[in-house]
Amino acid sequence: MQRVLSIIGSRCLQLVIMVLVLSFVTFLLMKVTPGDPIRALLKVDDVVVTTAEEERLMKEYGFDQPIFVQYKEWILNVVQLDLGESIIAKRPVFDMIMSRLPATIALSIGGLVALFLISVPIGILGAVYEGRWPDYLSRWIALVGASIPSFWLGLLLIYFFSLKLNILPVMGKGTFAHYILPSITLGVAMAPMYIRLLRERLISTLQSSYIEAAKTRGLRKERILFFHALRGSLIPLVTMFGLSIGSLLGGITVIEILFSWPGMGELIVQAVMQRDYPVIQGYILIVGFLVVITNLVVDLTYLVINPQIKQGKELG
Amino acid sequence: MLKKYAVFFFIFAVLLAFVTGCTNSEESSNSQVREEGTDNSAKTEKKSITLLYSFASKTIDPHQDFMGVRAGIAETLVKIDQNLEIQPWLAESWQQIDEKTWTFTIRDGVTFHDGTIVDGEAVEASFERVLEVNDAIAANLKIETMEASGQDITFMTTEEYPSFLSELVHTNTSVIKIDVENISEKPIATGAFQVVDFTAEAEIKVEKYDDYWDGPANLDEVTIKFNSDGNVRALALQSGEADIAYHLPPEALAPIESSDNLRVESVSSLRAHFILYNANKPALQDVRVRRALDLLINRPVAVSEIMNGHATSANGPFNRDFAFASDEEPKQYDPVQAEVLLKEAGYERNAEGMFEKGGTVLELTLATYQGRPELPLMAQYLQAEASSLGIKINIVTVENIDSYLWEQQDEWDLVTYSVLTAPRGDGGYFLNVAYLPEGSLNPGQIDIPELNEITKQLNVTADLENRVVLQKNAVDIIQEELPQSFILHPHIIVGVNERVKNWTPGAEEYYLITNQMDVE
Repeated sequence: MQRVLSIIGSRCLQLVIMVLVLSFVTFLLMKVTPGDPIRALLKVDDVVVTTAEEERLMKEYGFDQPIFVQYKEWILNVVQLDLGESIIAKRPVFDMIMSRLPATIALSIGGLVALFLISVPIGILGAVYEGRWPDYLSRWIALVGASIPSFWLGLLLIYFFSLKLNILPVMGKGTFAHYILPSITLGVAMAPMYIRLLRERLISTLQSSYIEAAKTRGLRKERILFFHALRGSLIPLVTMFGLSIGSLLGGITVIEILFSWPGMGELIVQAVMQRDYPVIQGYILIVGFLVVITNLVVDLTYLVINPQIKQGKELG
Repeated sequence: MLKKYAVFFFIFAVLLAFVTGCTNSEESSNSQVREEGTDNSAKTEKKSITLLYSFASKTIDPHQDFMGVRAGIAETLVKIDQNLEIQPWLAESWQQIDEKTWTFTIRDGVTFHDGTIVDGEAVEASFERVLEVNDAIAANLKIETMEASGQDITFMTTEEYPSFLSELVHTNTSVIKIDVENISEKPIATGAFQVVDFTAEAEIKVEKYDDYWDGPANLDEVTIKFNSDGNVRALALQSGEADIAYHLPPEALAPIESSDNLRVESVSSLRAHFILYNANKPALQDVRVRRALDLLINRPVAVSEIMNGHATSANGPFNRDFAFASDEEPKQYDPVQAEVLLKEAGYERNAEGMFEKGGTVLELTLATYQGRPELPLMAQYLQAEASSLGIKINIVTVENIDSYLWEQQDEWDLVTYSVLTAPRGDGGYFLNVAYLPEGSLNPGQIDIPELNEITKQLNVTADLENRVVLQKNAVDIIQEELPQSFILHPHIIVGVNERVKNWTPGAEEYYLITNQMDVE
């Protein structure tokens, strides 16, 4: 129990530090890169304005203030749980992000299911048939999966399943069928690493002494594979998942935009293009929070998968 | 044994994935069949279409976003018609009392979607809100006071402002009901359709408003979806998931054009693609150099090769359908004459065949951006033409073009640029923002005294015929002085299913959903 509490405690501390560092760095980067929301705001409307009017608006929004003053303002509001209002849409940032978050999480789960269905069987096949043709096939699948850009794979899937076979919808969210193509696209994009990692771990686990012991005890090989070796080999995959949650949320953006998925993708891309600072900052904050929470869940999952950690031993 | 089981496991997993996939797809195709079934059985009562648009809306507050008018939800006092002329809409008539005073009479019988009557007061309240929530519109309309009386609404502007009328075409000046909750997701306005559901950046569902003043719509329901990928939009049109798909990439048109039940509409837009010269750069201050560069632009080739034919050569800033556009033919490609002009300007070919003056080679930096994929191609094309003549052009591709142009004014010599030059049927907008020294779209610091005079005169001229004459004069000066080289007006390319009737896309792109449109 003490172990659990210390994990939670250290993660919370990490969360605070990370949010401060991350938000400041993005704040700095956004202000240094060219572009400002006032021009975007005025350009959106195609109206006659003078440069004097632009300057007046810059002042009104406080963009003429030194960057530290702007950051201080923002962080003070965040402490009071106020993420501010979008400059372009004039809506509370928190509401905007929260209305998109469920769809992004739903698609992430769909992607993880696809990832599991793709990587576990192929990884097992590669390990069991090490050096034989199924292993080469699994290696080839991983290579293709790693090389194909998500947007292109998505287009190909739409072309075959929606246009040629006409069995799945092109885009949007609604029925279960809407989940299939974006989930597969996401799953394939993430699978290669997991396939290779599972294969390596499974090969070394199958050669380890406790598996040998199990063999000599006369346990059935398939039972050894699925109940002993696979369980031990899943730990690095869980670790990797914790590490790749950030890149998952980054990669999902492309897929959301392609499939018109009403998640955070289009929101953040437009916000970056238009330099809608409050939205960008709010997004970074919430995604950072999610990454830390996921890592916490991953840490706690170890305790379930591998009881060794309960006793405070680190993994070799 | 182990291997056998692994194979079984693998095959089982693949089958499982396939079976779940199939069941789901069966479910979906069943549900599609069911939907179609209900469609068929209810065909007499439910007519619907799906329109696919490229720019996603975060909000459909008509005072913030164009989708309010585009989706047939909200309406403005006046609109522009197919001939790009101003016509009555919510206002049946108007009168300019003096230089600063305009009175509009609202039609009788116009009601908001909740049934309340639209009178002068409701219009005043709506304008008060837009002035408060939309800084750009407030700055643009220059309204000092408003007064409502019965069906009339009178606006007094802060200064003499003849283009006030055409500025009211701006979709953000829509009349909406203001004392309602959640205007950003469910605005209540006067259009032929009312909002059923809105998912930000994904989709809008609207249904027919039965008491619409201009007669109820033929369609019962319209769904507008957003997707920023042109290829996906084209695939959705082909799969039947969308009936109308906007802004298709020219390279995706072949299967649509060859399909029996789809067609491609291509209309000249109010936008112009052009090269903007930096008036601060000494080399480009010589009009002969600008003319020489202009002569290197082969407009017909740009239209046919870069735009796949979906564009019109430009003879100035404005779409040639406008009365105030130039009557001249677009400039011809003429590298021989370009060379003559450069020599007149004092440039000589050096040993490498490059033009130089006073020992300095004519070397220019051309900025471009990916926002419109054809612009970098035009930049490369000009670079190649210039190089074969003996002018060195270096291309820089920037992400945020507007900020680059303003903040790094010393770095660029020319830029490929694109602007909606007459978005509301009047050229006054572009003449003000792009040529006056204080204009917000004038990063090249263009300052032509003669042109500034005309623009200022235009700003106080109300008579429409006089305005046309002044704008034509302005265009003549622009074409003579060449502060920019206008290349072409890109077309709006729209894919349409043949089942859609009584509908064509307009050049203005404001009135996408109408009460007239229908389906078979």
